[in-house]
Amino acid sequence: MPSSRPRGRSGRTPTARNRRPAVAARGRGRRSRRGSAGLRLRTGFVFIALVLSFFGARLVQLQGVEPQKYATLAASTGGTVTVEMPAQRGEIVDRNGRPLADSVDGRMVVADPKLTAPQAPHLAKFLAKRLHVDYFTTLAALSKKNSRFAYVARRVPAALAVRVVDEAQQAGYKGLATRNDPLRSYPDHDVAANLIGFMGTDGPLAGLELTFNKMLAGTDGSETYEVGAGNRIPLGKSTITPPVNGRSLHTTIDEDLQWYTQRVLRQTVLGSGGESGFAVVLDRRTGETLALADYPTYDAGNPQASPAKDRNSLAMTSPYEPGSVEKVLTLSSLIDAGKVTDRTRLVVPGQLQSGDRVIHDWFPHGNLRMTLAGVIAQSSNIGTAKSSRLFKQGQLRKYLTSFGLGQRTDVGVNGETAGLLPSTAEWNGMLQDRIAFGQSVSVNGLQMAAAINTIANGGVRVDPSIIQGRATTSTGQVVGTDVATRHRVVSKNAAHQMTQMMERVVDPNVGVAPKAQVPGYVVAGKTGTAQRVGDQCKCYNGQFTVSFAGFAPADDPRFTVYVVVQRPTNGGGGGSVAGPAFSKIMSFALRRYGVPPTGAKPSQIPTTW
Amino acid sequence: MSSTAPALRTRVPRLAEAALERARLTVVPKRARRHTSPVPFLLVVSMLAVGGIVGLLLFNTSMQQASFAATDLQRQADTLQAQQQSLQMQLDRLRDPQAIALKAQRMGMVLPTNPAVLDLRNGKVLGDATPATRLDPLRLMAPAPRKPAVLDPAAQVTIVQPPAHQRQTRRDSQGDTARGAHDNGTRAGRNDHTSHNDTTSNTRH
Repeated sequence: MPSSRPRGRSGRTPTARNRRPAVAARGRGRRSRRGSAGLRLRTGFVFIALVLSFFGARLVQLQGVEPQKYATLAASTGGTVTVEMPAQRGEIVDRNGRPLADSVDGRMVVADPKLTAPQAPHLAKFLAKRLHVDYFTTLAALSKKNSRFAYVARRVPAALAVRVVDEAQQAGYKGLATRNDPLRSYPDHDVAANLIGFMGTDGPLAGLELTFNKMLAGTDGSETYEVGAGNRIPLGKSTITPPVNGRSLHTTIDEDLQWYTQRVLRQTVLGSGGESGFAVVLDRRTGETLALADYPTYDAGNPQASPAKDRNSLAMTSPYEPGSVEKVLTLSSLIDAGKVTDRTRLVVPGQLQSGDRVIHDWFPHGNLRMTLAGVIAQSSNIGTAKSSRLFKQGQLRKYLTSFGLGQRTDVGVNGETAGLLPSTAEWNGMLQDRIAFGQSVSVNGLQMAAAINTIANGGVRVDPSIIQGRATTSTGQVVGTDVATRHRVVSKNAAHQMTQMMERVVDPNVGVAPKAQVPGYVVAGKTGTAQRVGDQCKCYNGQFTVSFAGFAPADDPRFTVYVVVQRPTNGGGGGSVAGPAFSKIMSFALRRYGVPPTGAKPSQIPTTW
Repeated sequence: MSSTAPALRTRVPRLAEAALERARLTVVPKRARRHTSPVPFLLVVSMLAVGGIVGLLLFNTSMQQASFAATDLQRQADTLQAQQQSLQMQLDRLRDPQAIALKAQRMGMVLPTNPAVLDLRNGKVLGDATPATRLDPLRLMAPAPRKPAVLDPAAQVTIVQPPAHQRQTRRDSQGDTARGAHDNGTRAGRNDHTSHNDTTSNTRH
């Protein structure tokens, strides 16, 4: 509408009239040069159609005729690259955060034999020298026929692998590459190896590594992005699935104490000509396992060097009869039941009829007049069996169950044995006589240590643990100090009386294990020399399990130490073989944790009357 | 509006026509368009275009540069991390209690047997301190593995009877030397590894 007026008026003005034809003439001139609009449009469309049909044809060629070829071509010349982002495996650390098992960025060195074959001997020599691999194996790998892939070395620290491959390239060798290959390192070699386990090529094979694999492993991630000439294309397509690193596992093990315990144990087992052995150190108050040593052991960094039977924890997986150490449990239960006291006077005969069998003591004697303390100090089977007949039906079994016998400790060790406590149905007088002094009942090492720790802890049993805080096993069981429970087994008074009796065991005059004394401290302990059940005959075969369990300082215990040696061949018993080892380990632990002597004097309660 | 304008005009009496004619609104005559050259315009446009393209190019290049730098830095970070880890491994190896104990023993250190504790509150000495001794040292090394029978043959002992005239004169001392030689022979032949171990541990302790 606004445009109509000016046009109407402009008709009257001469200037407008003059100008218009000029403009029109110019437009007409242009039109003639370019052709009509219709023609131009048609030409344009034809041109566009031509171009598009070319595109179409190319599209059909790419997608329809030979898509595979182009896809592989794209993949081979870079295109997108998928990089695996391995999750870092969690560490296994000791109670002070020192790594017992550590994850390190590792690489595998791989070769393309097609490229390496011509220079194989030289390259093999170079690699053997730098990567400490076997020359002949490497030579064979490098000159493998009809293959484009061969392993040269696996689980090499990343820094070394990259350096060696770079040097090889600079020296003119072709066909070497590195790939991700996470490396597990065990810096302390055999320290706690039986407990921690080790990693195989593809996954964990034993120990805590296996039990807590789910938690330690984490989840691998991956990253896909476009590359050109080895560089990432900015703003290119990229997807990232971030890896979830594994969580670390905090154990209650004390690295240094564990090491020392293992060395003392090895010396003890070898010195006595024994077959195997183990030692446990428990923190009395919390039930934390500060050391759990096994012998034989192995280097977790090189498990293949040791036979498979040496790689698990015999302390946890192999049940054995505890022998006289068990008398502590029987007699403290008996005191708790109110049947006896530490001063109860007994007449101990030279032998005791038990059903169709006869019970003997380890030393021949006639009628002896012993107090209950004397029975412990001299480790009399007859005295213990005779006293245990005061128990009511089923009473001893209930006490032993409460001490934790016959049930797994569930600390998180794979294949833990529950031991064997005869069922109520099997239970009879004869059996009870033998169980009273630790035969016909079998336990695992930690179970027994925890039972002795109950006496040290004033009659309250604390669940032992090897995991600090809490952790979930791969089977979904939650273990650790957070879930450890405690319950009273015997009265404080009964535990106190038993402690006093156990102090007499290390007395040089009346006890059987003076060598278990720790200079400067009052020690309460008990020896054990049990007949061993043979592997083949399932009978007592003349071999022994010797042991010593005890705690110190006796009036305010800090640690419970339990040392067991299987099959010593030097004729030694619990006091002479395991006693000195106990003394050394206990002394080290007290020193390490700065436990001052309490200044108390060992109990002098009478052992005879 | 256009329809009312002529009506108005007819109604108004025609007074002072000339003045009216002068006062009549007319379109301002267009000023003759100056024939400007298209160069500045083209210049601006092309500058914009070129600037844009160059800018884009520079941006792209800088992105590429950043990408190169990122790849480079990533590589450097990987190398450094690997280095850090290998140093950590080295540290862990040095902190291995076994390594420390071996070094300490080589320096002549022994484990304390019976230390005393000094109570700072009252200055009392608890326990009686006794000096550490080298008796009963802690054995740090595992025993050498037993060799297979092929590599560890039984010692062959040949007892050579001394000539008759010597036997008469050196009867007393002969036994000792013979035993000594025999002893050395078996040890060297059979147990060289263990005996070597024994001597080293003896010197270390």
